[in-house]
Amino acid sequence: MPEEKETGSVSRRSILVGAAIVPLTAIRSAAQTPQTALTSDQFKLLDAFTDRLIPKDENGPGASECGAANYIDRQLADYLKGEKDAFIQGLAATDAFAQQSQGKPFVELSPEAQDAVLTAMDNGTATGFTPNSRTFFSRVRRLTLEGTFSDPYYGGNKGFAGWDLIGYPGPRLAVGPDEQKMHVAIKPAHLSAWGGMTSGH
Amino acid sequence: MAIRLKPVDVAVIGLGAAGGVAVLPLARAGLKVAGIEAGTWMDPHKAFHADEVFNNVRGGVTSVQKANREIPTVRENASSPTRPRGAIHPMMNAIGGTSIHYWASAWRLKPWDFKTRSEVEKRYGKSAIPAGSTLEDWPLAYEDLEPFYDTIEHEVGVSGKAGNIQGKLDPAGNVYEGPRQREYPMPPLRGTEYTEHMMATAKQLGWKPFHGPSAINSVAFNGRPGCVYHGYCGRGGCHISAKNSTAVSTIPAAMKTKNLTIFDLAHVTRIQTGPDGRASGVTYIKDGKEYFQPAKVVLLASYTYENTRLLLLSQSKAFPKGLSNNHGMVGRHFFSHWQGSPVFALFPFNINVWYGTPAQTTVVDDFADDNFDHSRLGFIGGTSISLGTEMHPIEAAGMQTFGRAPQWGSKWKAFVKENAARWTSSYLQTSTYPYEQNFLDLDTEVRDPLGDSVCRITNANMQNEARAAAFGQAKTEDWFRAAGAIEIIRGGAGSGGLSTHAYGGTRMGDNPETNVVNKWGMSHEVPNLGVLGASVMGNSGARNPTLTAQALAWRTAEHLIKNWKSV
Repeated sequence: MPEEKETGSVSRRSILVGAAIVPLTAIRSAAQTPQTALTSDQFKLLDAFTDRLIPKDENGPGASECGAANYIDRQLADYLKGEKDAFIQGLAATDAFAQQSQGKPFVELSPEAQDAVLTAMDNGTATGFTPNSRTFFSRVRRLTLEGTFSDPYYGGNKGFAGWDLIGYPGPRLAVGPDEQKMHVAIKPAHLSAWGGMTSGH
Repeated sequence: MAIRLKPVDVAVIGLGAAGGVAVLPLARAGLKVAGIEAGTWMDPHKAFHADEVFNNVRGGVTSVQKANREIPTVRENASSPTRPRGAIHPMMNAIGGTSIHYWASAWRLKPWDFKTRSEVEKRYGKSAIPAGSTLEDWPLAYEDLEPFYDTIEHEVGVSGKAGNIQGKLDPAGNVYEGPRQREYPMPPLRGTEYTEHMMATAKQLGWKPFHGPSAINSVAFNGRPGCVYHGYCGRGGCHISAKNSTAVSTIPAAMKTKNLTIFDLAHVTRIQTGPDGRASGVTYIKDGKEYFQPAKVVLLASYTYENTRLLLLSQSKAFPKGLSNNHGMVGRHFFSHWQGSPVFALFPFNINVWYGTPAQTTVVDDFADDNFDHSRLGFIGGTSISLGTEMHPIEAAGMQTFGRAPQWGSKWKAFVKENAARWTSSYLQTSTYPYEQNFLDLDTEVRDPLGDSVCRITNANMQNEARAAAFGQAKTEDWFRAAGAIEIIRGGAGSGGLSTHAYGGTRMGDNPETNVVNKWGMSHEVPNLGVLGASVMGNSGARNPTLTAQALAWRTAEHLIKNWKSV
């Protein structure tokens, strides 16, 4: 047959078949010492920002306690490093707008004044943003959702607090009819897909 | 100079859903087959994760980054600017291709879909055909494809309930389907309390609901286990190989014959043409080296965008505008399936659609195809409505708030705490047709890392499809309301730009003036070149395309085998 070496796919196949039936130990790839992207001041600002989007209240921990900013900080050094500079510019614009409209840096404002800043950003009326404040606000909101409700492997959703808030029962290796019932709260598994599941998948 | 490999009988470009099934009959028939694939094998335990960020946010399930480096550009019409380029290609590269991370809905088209133009003209008159549409009847009938649907359902493995076996109707299945020769090899996926509630509601409305078919094992099948419903199927690979991708079904079976050699991590750059105007083989790059694989027959089986792009890039003296494009039809009759018209519903109790798969469904076809009188409706075709499961936590928290709460702050938090397990959306697929103004070609500016132009999509939403989708949305609202939903809202409509359901560009038809391939999937201009995939389909039906693409691919392979000496 061809001059080029075969891929050895027959043996590869046997490994695949084996893997499906032999339990492997949990695989913890990457993230031993995660890189981060933000300075301590930038982090504090982002942390306060996210905690107004999902505040700590009678319904439980907020985004800060869940580690949403931690998630975002790691992403900006990793998968989202392409948007790191724009993101840091957005944080700086947020602080500048807080100073200009409320007279203090964002983290020194009362929760009500912080909400006034964020409302103006959400409405697109806050000035000093590229291309506009709404775009940056929406991006922070989206990443705050990711940080609060993603697998704890990525540095957010600490203690599964985000998943517990919305009643997401967590990844399971196998799901039975009882876990697909209506009218009930499904018992949380409190497992990460990246560890603590016997196959480590 | 390219390194010249030993000639083979058939070179198949792409071992995905279509190429991955075609290799099986070819190899079984004793033909020597080279499967040339950009990606490689994926190990279910190292590559597949129950993780929304990995699968759905990052599009992490792919074995190499080829597709993501050649994402097509999109514009609405020939004079509008291209939109910002998407970040994730809807399809993936691997042995098995996107059959690894697709939803695995496994539909046959309806007999009506194969002869829509003539049936519409007969029932509603010639003027009912949408203006500007280039719709033609298919060069084959449902009955011609039925044996191949049957073969795929059994070789790949499909779960479902027949609604019409040789004309005998069974209301437990889809009574609107075309007659099939026998029952599915496996029963449907398990119902959930939610899907059964919607089933009962549809029956109360006088509709004919059923469980949708899927290429996922509902029970152990061909040595692999049944689905465990863990909820990471969409854009995810199956950790127990219960989803019947070609990587675990037809490709391993073809390898057993020893007639299939897989060249993985091989980036195909051109299909070459000899002085006789026939395809001579395939050039690809692997590890920085260029290879030429000579072949008696070339089967092009990448995705719709790449099928057109590779033909347009493969220019030669005999084909100066691109291979098989002397009639200018490559890239024409392109259309993007209208599947972006969801309806969101909020219930006053937990429905818990967290787990399962999008193919664990209750479906109604009462408003699809020509299953109802269109006389005063102003459109042809229709919409299938699927209600399934699988909800991930970021998606759930990002829910529609139905005007009941703001988008952030304590009031929002209280709202999602109460309602994240109480909402869902519907999946509507609308019959979509080709139009003169929608097409694929090569982008004039954006290039891939090799310097080749990426594919450019020119696609506008058309009125016929908009009306058919809105009709389906209204019926979906009725369904949710009858089921007890307290809030119902329609999502944005459209056929979008980048899509997992892209069709056309190399349409199949008898007329070489308007079609690229003949009824067997072989080029009108290049007798030893075949094209596999939904790029040969001339209209979509209200169905996911994969099973039809696979049935057509098997049929092309069988045609080659039977006519090998004369190809």
